[in-house]
Amino acid sequence: MSVEEQMIENAKEGKVLTHKCTSCGHLHLSTVYYCQKCGSKGFQDEILEGTGSIATYTIITVPPAGFEKHTPYAFAVLQLDNVKLRISGFMGGIATPDDLPVGTRAKITGFDERGIIIEKQ
Amino acid sequence: MCFVEKVCVLGAGSTKYGKLADSIADITTQASVAAIESAGIDPKEIGASYISNVFGIADKQVHIGPVLMSRLGIPDKPSLTIESACGSGSVSFREAYANIAAGFYDCLIATGVEKVTHTGTEWTTTYFAYCSDFFYEGQAGASFPGLFASMARAYLTEFDATEEDFAAVAVKNHDNGVLNPKAHMQKKITVDDVMNSAVVASPLKLYDCCPFSDGASSVILCSEKFAKAHGGDYIEVTGSGRGGSPAALQGREQMTTIPSTKIASEAAYKMAGITAKDVDFAEVHDCFTIAEVVDTEDLGFFDKGQGIQAIREGRTKLNSDISINPSGGLKSKGHPIGATGIGQVVEVYDQLTGKAGERTVKDAKVGLTHNFGATGASCAVHVFQSV
Repeated sequence: MSVEEQMIENAKEGKVLTHKCTSCGHLHLSTVYYCQKCGSKGFQDEILEGTGSIATYTIITVPPAGFEKHTPYAFAVLQLDNVKLRISGFMGGIATPDDLPVGTRAKITGFDERGIIIEKQ
Repeated sequence: MCFVEKVCVLGAGSTKYGKLADSIADITTQASVAAIESAGIDPKEIGASYISNVFGIADKQVHIGPVLMSRLGIPDKPSLTIESACGSGSVSFREAYANIAAGFYDCLIATGVEKVTHTGTEWTTTYFAYCSDFFYEGQAGASFPGLFASMARAYLTEFDATEEDFAAVAVKNHDNGVLNPKAHMQKKITVDDVMNSAVVASPLKLYDCCPFSDGASSVILCSEKFAKAHGGDYIEVTGSGRGGSPAALQGREQMTTIPSTKIASEAAYKMAGITAKDVDFAEVHDCFTIAEVVDTEDLGFFDKGQGIQAIREGRTKLNSDISINPSGGLKSKGHPIGATGIGQVVEVYDQLTGKAGERTVKDAKVGLTHNFGATGASCAVHVFQSV
C-alpha cells in the first residue's frame, strides 16, 4: 500500500496514521518520508484517534467541480488531541459560522470522493 | 555568494489585465514586444527567454517559449517555462536574474502569461485548487478562496481584527487601481460594497478576492555593463531571495503567517544590505485581502498582528508611510497567475523610472516585489533600486 492508501485506510477507521521520528521524536502525518526537523529517515508508526477540535475553517459557497451537490460545506483544519499535529478535511452540513465555532469538538469519520471526512463530535 | 555581474532591468511592458480575446501566444508576444521596445533593444540581443505560465493547457498552448522566440524572429534562442503556481513570475524572474548574475548571458527576456477566464468560474476555481496540497486540501473541496478564508478566520480568532478591516484593504487597492490604465478592475469601491458582496468562502466575500484575469507582462534583464553601454532608463536588482513553507496550511506552526515570505525577504534584504524600513513602496501578493495584511507583517513592515492597525490608520495608502500595491495589486490590477510576479516588476520599473503617472510614489528610490505560489508554499522577493 502507498502512503496515501495507508492514510486513507486509517481515516476510514476514524484513525490518523503518523510517523514519529526515532531520532528526535518529531511527529508528522505519515505521508512524510524524512523528518522535517532533523532530516532523519527513521520513523515509528503511531496510530492516533482522529479526534480533536476545529483550529480554523471556511464555509465554501463557490465550489470546485464535483462539490456542487454538497454546497455549502466546510473545509476544516482539525487540531488533533494531545499532540502537536493538525489534519484537514471535508465537513458536510455546515451552512453558517454559528454551526461551527472555532474550538468545536470534531473527529475523522471516513474517507470518500470528498477526501478525509470530519464530523462534529 | 559570488556574482560576476550586477543585474538591471532595462525595459518592461504589459498587456491590459482582464478578460482578453486574443490567444495566449498572442498576448505573450504583445507583452514581450512592449518590453523590447521599452528597452530599445534588438530582439537578436536577447540570449534566452524565461516564461512563467501555469495553465497553458487551458488555451491549448504549452511549451510557449519556442512559439514566442519564433515570433520574435529568434527561433534559434533557447527558452524555459517555469511553473510555481501564482508565484511562477517571481521564480522565473529569479532564474533569469541568476543566469545574468552568474555571467551566462548579457541580456534575457522574462515573460509571464495566463489565459483562463474563458474556462469560467467553476473550472478556473477547480484548476487553481490543483495548486494546493491536493491530497489534504483540494481533494476535500478546498478552493483557494477557501484556504485564504481559513487563514482569515485564524487571524480573526487570534488578533483584534474585523471583516471590515479586511474590506479596507480592497478599498485601498481599488483606489490605486483606478489610476492604473492596465488594471482589470478600474473601479472605486467602499467598505459597504465589500461587506455586501456575495460570500465566496466565509469570511471572505467576492470583493475580498482578486479577479480571475488574463494577461501578460514582460521585462528585459541585463548586466550593468550592457545597460550602461546601451543607454536608456534602467533600474538595478539589489536583492533576490526565495523561500518555502509546508505545502498544506495544516503543517504550519501558525496559520496567520507565511514562513516562505519571511525566509525570502530576509535573504533579499541581506543581499541588498537594507532592512524593511528602507523600502519606499512594495508590490505584495494580495490575492485576497487577508493576504496583504499577513504579507505586510511577514515582510517586516509591521509587527505581527499590527498589519490590521496599519490598514485602519491608512498607513499603507499611496504616498503614506509605505505605499503598498501602488499598481492596485492583484486585487484591482488583476491576477493572471503566471504573469503576476513579472507584472509586479513592471510596476517597480515604471515607478523608479518616472513612468507611473498619477500613481507615482513620490521620491521613491527602493521598491520591493513579493509574489508567492498557492498559500505561500513557494515565494520569491526582489529588491530594486533606482540608478
